[in-house]
Amino acid sequence: MALIGFIVNPIAGMGGRVGLKGTDGVLKEALELGAEPVAPQRVEVFLRRLDSIIESRGIEKRIEWLTCSDGMGEDSLRSFASDYWEYEVDCESSAPTTAEDTKNACKILLGKNVSLIVFCGGDGTARDIWQTVGEDVPIIGIPSGVKMHSGVFGMNPEATAEIVAEFISGEMDVAEGEILDLDEEKYRKGEWHIQLFGTAKTPHEPTYVQVSKVQVEAVGEDAIKEEIAESIVEDMEDEPDTLFILGSGSTVGAVSQELGIEFSLLGVDTVVNKELIAKDVNESKLLSLLDQYPKVRLVISPIGAQGFILGRGNLQLSPEVIRRIGIDNITVISPPAKLAQTPVLRVDTGDKELDEMFYERQYLRVVFRYKTMKLVKVGK
Amino acid sequence: MRDPSGFMREEYQDLVEKGFDWKLRVLEGPSAPRCKVDGKDVIMLCSNNYLNMSNHPRLIAAAKKALETHGAGSGSVRPIAGNLDLHFEAERAVAKFKHTESALIYQTGFAANAGLIPQLAGKGDIIISDELNHGSIIDGVRLTKADRAIFPHRNMGELEKVLQDSDKKHNRILIVSDGVFSMDGDIQYMDQIQKLADEYGAMTFVDDAHGEGVIGPDGRGIGAHFGIAGKIDVEMGTFSKAYGVVGGLIAGSQDLVNFALNKSRTWLLSGSHPPQVAAAQIEAIKVLEEEPEHVNNLWDNTKYFKNELISMGYDCGQSETPITPVIVGESHKAKALSERTFELGVFALPIVFPMVARDAARIRTMMNAGLTKDDLNEALAAFEKAGKELEII
Repeated sequence: MALIGFIVNPIAGMGGRVGLKGTDGVLKEALELGAEPVAPQRVEVFLRRLDSIIESRGIEKRIEWLTCSDGMGEDSLRSFASDYWEYEVDCESSAPTTAEDTKNACKILLGKNVSLIVFCGGDGTARDIWQTVGEDVPIIGIPSGVKMHSGVFGMNPEATAEIVAEFISGEMDVAEGEILDLDEEKYRKGEWHIQLFGTAKTPHEPTYVQVSKVQVEAVGEDAIKEEIAESIVEDMEDEPDTLFILGSGSTVGAVSQELGIEFSLLGVDTVVNKELIAKDVNESKLLSLLDQYPKVRLVISPIGAQGFILGRGNLQLSPEVIRRIGIDNITVISPPAKLAQTPVLRVDTGDKELDEMFYERQYLRVVFRYKTMKLVKVGK
Repeated sequence: MRDPSGFMREEYQDLVEKGFDWKLRVLEGPSAPRCKVDGKDVIMLCSNNYLNMSNHPRLIAAAKKALETHGAGSGSVRPIAGNLDLHFEAERAVAKFKHTESALIYQTGFAANAGLIPQLAGKGDIIISDELNHGSIIDGVRLTKADRAIFPHRNMGELEKVLQDSDKKHNRILIVSDGVFSMDGDIQYMDQIQKLADEYGAMTFVDDAHGEGVIGPDGRGIGAHFGIAGKIDVEMGTFSKAYGVVGGLIAGSQDLVNFALNKSRTWLLSGSHPPQVAAAQIEAIKVLEEEPEHVNNLWDNTKYFKNELISMGYDCGQSETPITPVIVGESHKAKALSERTFELGVFALPIVFPMVARDAARIRTMMNAGLTKDDLNEALAAFEKAGKELEII
């Protein structure tokens, strides 16, 4: 029996249909504008697909859903029953539901030792869950919010069902997924900026390596990141006196770990000759370092679910900084599993002309194994 | 106190629990079209002995004769004292057969890839690979300091983009690919790759293990198949499949052979083939030149078997060669089909996720020129019966 937590944010996505940037805190406004619930429908698609995958693939393991009352899970599981699972209501929800309900539910689910939490919602829901569970339990989202930039969602409810099915059959690896959400402070000042809050654990397709003619072996995400990091460190050895600007996120973080230096998961660090020069730098510090070092390389990784390499979670890398670095001096790195989910790289530097310069390239080199690259499309 | 070798048992147990350990089957007697596996009489559909050459009386006689004239072993590595006249003769035969200037025989195909590829590119160079290349190529590539790039399977447009991208950034460029891909039985567009390579000044290396003795006129391999024999920088192949013996080979220019034998550590540091192996290699090539019926039978059998499977309702994918995948979808179906067909007297292995896509699990069959129409009908009947029982067709 697979013990899986199940949390539905019944109001998720309602703001989007009526032109709001989210639903948290503006439910009343959304309802007045005529918003209709979207989550229950998305959950049903997910459950229906999961039921059919378990049946067709002959998966033997059964699921025990631990869920919340009423619209936060119970209603959906009651209305779509299956031979392949049972459910139990362990958490209460209020009416209307709040972020606190989600956080309380997560505490209870953690206490029950669930192996995975499946949730339905958007970036706000993901962030609420992550704030409680951190990296203790993997989480995976059925996308239903207004914003879904975080790297913990399936592409659609059917894809989430596929991931959950593979997870219960033991075929999934667990890797990091970034938690991204609107920077509310900036938003109140009229700027729209997506901020990186941290990383959660999420199920990921492992990377397979052929070990014999008819056998392959799964290689863990950490081992892959280490391989990629080794390549970048070798580049540092080959390129002395070059300013290496290391972007945010755990994939790039592995480079600093390989060097044995401190790093900022959410910020940008700089390294020269394998030594840390400055940690968590802002735009003006970067510009002054760029004055100092004529040779430069920027190492970045796609952040979140949609393949953004610039413009999500790394505001320090401003259009001016990017122009000074030059597109040719950007090295994109990504584990293959993540790359498989983000077949197109995106940029949103805030400078349309600069974005166009990326699009004109059509492709960027992405290092995805030790010294191994492929060309990946850059697009809108 | 540490347990110095406890990891062996632990790691093995882990493989056993996951069902990933190899359960070795025992072939009692020769690798023949009909043979005895684990005490059961079966029709063999998973050996690489495409032409049934390992049982050819001429090969057996040549091997026996060499035992008498040259003894059971070669005595040394080739660079010191183990270079027999038979080795040179076999290499001359390969070069003549493949219409290349020269050829070199390695101890195995793996030794050729793992020994030569790392010498062809190093720091500042790039090796460009098809994403579905065989593990021995990947291992050869791993031994280099060169950068590596991958292009999507048989996608020439994407390959060209990688070449454009690599052109200014690297010194040497090496494009490496399988000739025939062993999971799907499809053939690489080597003619187009060679054209692109000529345009961008890149070297080409093809692993023709499943094409040697199978494709091209008289089974001369992929170079002959596309009419570009002698143009591919390295045509690598094996004696262990269609030729029915053992050993790896490379065919190309004299420069290639001079370079390869002085640089390949696998070749320099392994003992050379015993005389009977070299003699059987020579005879295998002679048989191919003098008896076209083996290659013809292989293709006749392949076409008949494939067409019958398709008309039963099986999906045989994109195969263009005697490797015919019987694609059935989910992994458990492929395993069940393999078990049932084995009970019915057909030996063919299931290939399941993650070797192939989750919905493309299959039984991989490999044709043999020595199978008769009756044998094939018996095998087909087994596939039909098992497929219907399991509701696949």
